Amino acid sequence: MSAFGFGRIAAAAFVVLGFAVVQVAAGPAEIAQIKPRQDKLRDMGGALKAINDEIKKGRIDWDNTVIPNAQTIKDRSAYLLNWFPKGSGPETGKKTYALPAIWQKNDDFQKLGKAAQAEAAKLNDIALKKDEAGLKAQALATGKACKACHDNYRSPDYEKENEDE
Amino acid sequence: MTTSDAGRMETALADTADLRVWDLPVRVMHWLLAIGIGVCWWSGVNNELEYHLWSGYAVLWIVLMRLYWGLVGSSTARFVNFVRGPKAILNYASTLHRRDTPHSHGHNALGAISIVLMLGLVLGVVGLGLFAVDVDGLYSGPLSSYVTFKQGRHLAHSHYYWFEILLWVIGLHLAAVLFYFIYKRQNLVGPMISGKRQVKHQGELGHEEMKIAPLWRFVIGAVAVTAIVYAVSIGFYF
Repeated sequence: MSAFGFGRIAAAAFVVLGFAVVQVAAGPAEIAQIKPRQDKLRDMGGALKAINDEIKKGRIDWDNTVIPNAQTIKDRSAYLLNWFPKGSGPETGKKTYALPAIWQKNDDFQKLGKAAQAEAAKLNDIALKKDEAGLKAQALATGKACKACHDNYRSPDYEKENEDE
Repeated sequence: MTTSDAGRMETALADTADLRVWDLPVRVMHWLLAIGIGVCWWSGVNNELEYHLWSGYAVLWIVLMRLYWGLVGSSTARFVNFVRGPKAILNYASTLHRRDTPHSHGHNALGAISIVLMLGLVLGVVGLGLFAVDVDGLYSGPLSSYVTFKQGRHLAHSHYYWFEILLWVIGLHLAAVLFYFIYKRQNLVGPMISGKRQVKHQGELGHEEMKIAPLWRFVIGAVAVTAIVYAVSIGFYF
């Protein structure tokens, strides 16, 4: 048997084994995404609420509230699309409001995710500039970018139950 | 002879008459409330929270006005005139299967329970909504800045839960109206539109005429309630 032949067989074996490993490992690794991504997304919602509360109060605390929360949203949004690997949907059997449409229409999902990242980055810029006039509009735009994804890719069941219990 | 005297005379002759049951504010508030709750339902289920906020304020305004009108409004609108004790309710309930019972003037003793229940539930659901936080932290209730994100989410779930209970009570209300129409042959929807009910027998004229409250009283309440709802909508941050 030539070295070349052995190499091919070894490569083929690796590929097959690799698939098997991926298949076996798929479950736990993808399931492990669910809880942390829920926690992180909830933190982002809480951060936007904190910014909106400042706007409502009309006395904006930039340094203690708006800037750190805008930073949280921007930082988290950068990883947003990594939290939804294929196989981390309802097929895991775990409680998740992530709809299968995320992976069926993944191009659209990715597009919306990137749009949210862009809005989050703009929000962060405005926070750092302490631009009061711009903040209200950008907090709205950022929230709408979050909602755009949630409207189509999150199960409406989330309103029926306490998702954090 | 005044026109109303002439009216009574005619009544006596013709043996039928229109008896006024509901004043204009009660009728307008009733139908606006039905529409308002419908818009709230639709916008809530479809996550159109911008519209949900506005329709919520509208419903809050109507309910507060109805409560005010229940204190100072026309006679059939007042709580003291239609909220009864357990004995009167049981007495009324025991005649429910009979078809020959006369019309109640205004709310009947049993219907009063569902009116109070519905008004209370609507107020409660709106109250929870004021503090509710949406999952995006985007269109939260106007008082949500007084609670944390987590508390606000819990309140949003309660808001949803109690709305479902309200829907069941509204369903009961509609079923009762249908029951009166089909079984007792009493049309309750017509008077809620026209404000009047036709009285066929002289005996029924024994009912007291509805005492109509002056419109200026409604206007005063409307100004006060508008101010309250406005203050709530800006979260009391003046």
